[in-house]
Amino acid sequence: MAAVDAETIGKSYGATAVLDDVSLRFEDGRFTSLLGPSGSGKTTLLRIVAGFVTADRGRILIGGEDVTSVPVWKRAIGMVFQSYALFPHMSVDDNVAFGLARRGVRGAEASRRVGEALEMVRLSGFGARRPKELSGGQQQRVALARAIVTRPRVLLLDEPLSALDRRLRQEMQVELKRIQREVGITTIFVTHDQEEALALSDHVAILDRGRIVQAGPPGEIYERPATRFAASFLGDANFLEGVVAEGGVIVGGVLVRTDDPLPAPGTKALLAVRPEKIALVPAWGAAPAGHNAVPATVRQVVYAGAASTYLLDGPGGVALTVFAQNRTGGPVAEAGATVTLAFPPKQTILIKD
Amino acid sequence: MSEPQSGAPARRGLSPGAVTAALVTPAYLWLTVAIFLPLVAMLVFSFLTAAPFGNRAVEFTGAHYLVFYNRPYLVEVALRSLALGAWTTGICALIGLPAALALSRAFRGRTREVLFFLVILPFWTNGLVRVFSWTMVLRENGILDDIVRAFWADAPSIGILYSYPAIVVGLVHAYLPYMILTCYLSVVAIDDEILEAARSLGARAPVVFGKIVLPLAAPGLIAGSVLIFVPVIGSFMEPRILGGTAGVTIGTVIEDQFTQAFNWPLGSALSFIMLAVVLVVFAVFSRALRGRLTLS
Amino acid sequence: MTALGKLFLFAVLGFLYLPVAVLVAMAFNASPLYALPFEFTTHWFEELAGNDKLLAATRNSVLIAILTTVLATVIGALAAIALSRRRFRGRTLLRLLLLPPIAIPWLIIGTAMLVFFFWTGIGRGLHAMVLGHVALAIPYVVLVVGAGLNNTRIDLEEAAMSLGSTPLHAFFAVTLPLLMPSLIAAALFAFAVSLDQFVISYFLATPGVSTLPVEIYTSIRKGFTPEVNAVSSLLLAASMILIIIFARLTKVGGVSGRR
Repeated sequence: MAAVDAETIGKSYGATAVLDDVSLRFEDGRFTSLLGPSGSGKTTLLRIVAGFVTADRGRILIGGEDVTSVPVWKRAIGMVFQSYALFPHMSVDDNVAFGLARRGVRGAEASRRVGEALEMVRLSGFGARRPKELSGGQQQRVALARAIVTRPRVLLLDEPLSALDRRLRQEMQVELKRIQREVGITTIFVTHDQEEALALSDHVAILDRGRIVQAGPPGEIYERPATRFAASFLGDANFLEGVVAEGGVIVGGVLVRTDDPLPAPGTKALLAVRPEKIALVPAWGAAPAGHNAVPATVRQVVYAGAASTYLLDGPGGVALTVFAQNRTGGPVAEAGATVTLAFPPKQTILIKD
Repeated sequence: MSEPQSGAPARRGLSPGAVTAALVTPAYLWLTVAIFLPLVAMLVFSFLTAAPFGNRAVEFTGAHYLVFYNRPYLVEVALRSLALGAWTTGICALIGLPAALALSRAFRGRTREVLFFLVILPFWTNGLVRVFSWTMVLRENGILDDIVRAFWADAPSIGILYSYPAIVVGLVHAYLPYMILTCYLSVVAIDDEILEAARSLGARAPVVFGKIVLPLAAPGLIAGSVLIFVPVIGSFMEPRILGGTAGVTIGTVIEDQFTQAFNWPLGSALSFIMLAVVLVVFAVFSRALRGRLTLS
Repeated sequence: MTALGKLFLFAVLGFLYLPVAVLVAMAFNASPLYALPFEFTTHWFEELAGNDKLLAATRNSVLIAILTTVLATVIGALAAIALSRRRFRGRTLLRLLLLPPIAIPWLIIGTAMLVFFFWTGIGRGLHAMVLGHVALAIPYVVLVVGAGLNNTRIDLEEAAMSLGSTPLHAFFAVTLPLLMPSLIAAALFAFAVSLDQFVISYFLATPGVSTLPVEIYTSIRKGFTPEVNAVSSLLLAASMILIIIFARLTKVGGVSGRR
């Protein structure tokens, strides 16, 4: 096992910079997600770590050793591909044994380790089958077994769950996490699915247009997003733009307070509030003491059983969203009603645009 | 573990460019020697006064390209060759498109696969042999006459061997599978629901054909037409065998220059004029042909 | 409508196969003048065994076809690998250059070869025909093998490399086995192209060295007997068998399989 370091990685295709000076440490034994929209460079970064793509600038270190110029086949990695890439002309056993044979492990030792790996992914007894005789989820498990049986220093996962349907995907998330814990392998996981990243990762790095926007534990990124992109890509967010004044930010004539340190009065500032952090207070009620109180008009209520989404017009016409549990058996406010939005200054986060 | 390598991962002594060059060079060297250089040589030849063999003195001349001016009867031959191409292509289209439609609409599943294969199978058998087979059918007192006389004992012979129509029959037989193939690939992609949608909007059968089927089949029709017209204007063996004395085409004239008259420069010039026509046809229809010059 | 369509298609098939059936039937008919009524005989096939000229031409045809198959398959497959697996400048141009041998009428290519080979001293004969046939077969091999390569996903090779294979080992362990059907299909196709080739051979043949199609053409023009039918039937059967195996391997007939 080993930590992986990407140091000032740069990569361009023609005039387009796919990765722009990216540095990131993947800690030993940790599950790190690279999260971003398509074109953010996350897959390119993974393929640079794997060795399929050569970076224009920067270095890749695995366990402290510079592998920048080491070819793929000598990097001792394990990789699971988006399409699984199982060899269709080989049995499951032969697929899993492929990497062992490349490392000189054959015969009884190889079959023992193949058996162990298949047991770990709960596919004992499937060794003689061909890949096309397996379901998508089973193929996925074989791909995983094949990648870890060689005891690689790092496990690379390229959107491995994207081809599965929703239920199977959730099942595989649990499996994947269990296996990763058991093996304790440094794992790099590429995904565009925020829920998947939150559920699986010890660490998340958000990429946007070839740069790392924010990296940290999932909870930290969700609760304390640093930029508008991070706040909106991971979860939903309301954005309040205004001018800094004494004790807060004036948004459409309303003072909104935050616990974050503010820049000098008179400068522009951007605040973010998660929709579930906001309470809807009917016009006749009052906001709890110390909370921000912002007047708004309900535009539409989207009922979804357990919860409802309220779409509102806030101060200065800014569009706002509030999630509320349906505790009372009916909507708190109908469309057209005037309400007060209450949220604590602690959950009102100053972010960069 | 690490090697003194700095470039792409595939690097191992040889640069990727060298590997690529090593892979493609044999094929393109071969094509150069056997196809491209011969075409260049023929172009040069077509400007010589005579074939430069032995100690003959030769000069450059453009006279061979005035052949149609100098030998007016060749104009007639050229027009007949083009007409042959037009007749063959037209008849192939008239039979091929309905056949493709019938194949794609009236049959399903395995039956359709087998029938499709039966249609294209003759195309990959020896063309010469297939042309030869028509001589037995079309000649006077041939099989065609036998069939007719089975119904009407005293029928006059309708044997048409050694005539212009006989050449057309043979060429249609030779190239019809191509037209059915290209049309079929176009019409099989038409979803039944599109036709149903048209009918639900009030279109009658002729309108559905004219406004929906024909435009969607057009790429296949055009591709098939080009791929038939081009070889037909270059044909010489079919006119020779089926046309007899009526079978003088540009193709047979070129053949004669190389095998009988030994006027290679003139033959080269005629070949190049034909090549120019071919290239113009391809250029005009290049868009419709894109991605279709493959096997199927 | 459907019944009419079926009838029409069967009529078209009748048109396509009738003369071929006549050709084969006449090979088994006793009358040397193709006269009916039909009287079964294998006499014309027996005659073939004593026809040294046709036998020599057949030997040449098969020899040329075998050489063409080996050379065109190897050379074409190498080019196909580069054209569909490697990115380099001029790839589009190289792909376009495969079209002239397929698209230009054989008459033009054949006469051009005659001119060039004669001029440069390469001359005519077996070697010249092999030179020509291989050039005609290479584009088809590249197309067939290229299609096979496109069906063999590149990530399989990447997977092998991530497991420790060098690119060369990945190719031999993963890609080549999966490519085998395409390679065999390409080889069969090359064989059929060469065996049936008439025009190129016609211009490159010498009075002493010719191929079966050239010999058949000469016979047809000089006046013929059912012996020509017999040998033609054999040639027809050979190419049909080759193409049927080819279709099985590449699933050409299966174009219509979906729906």
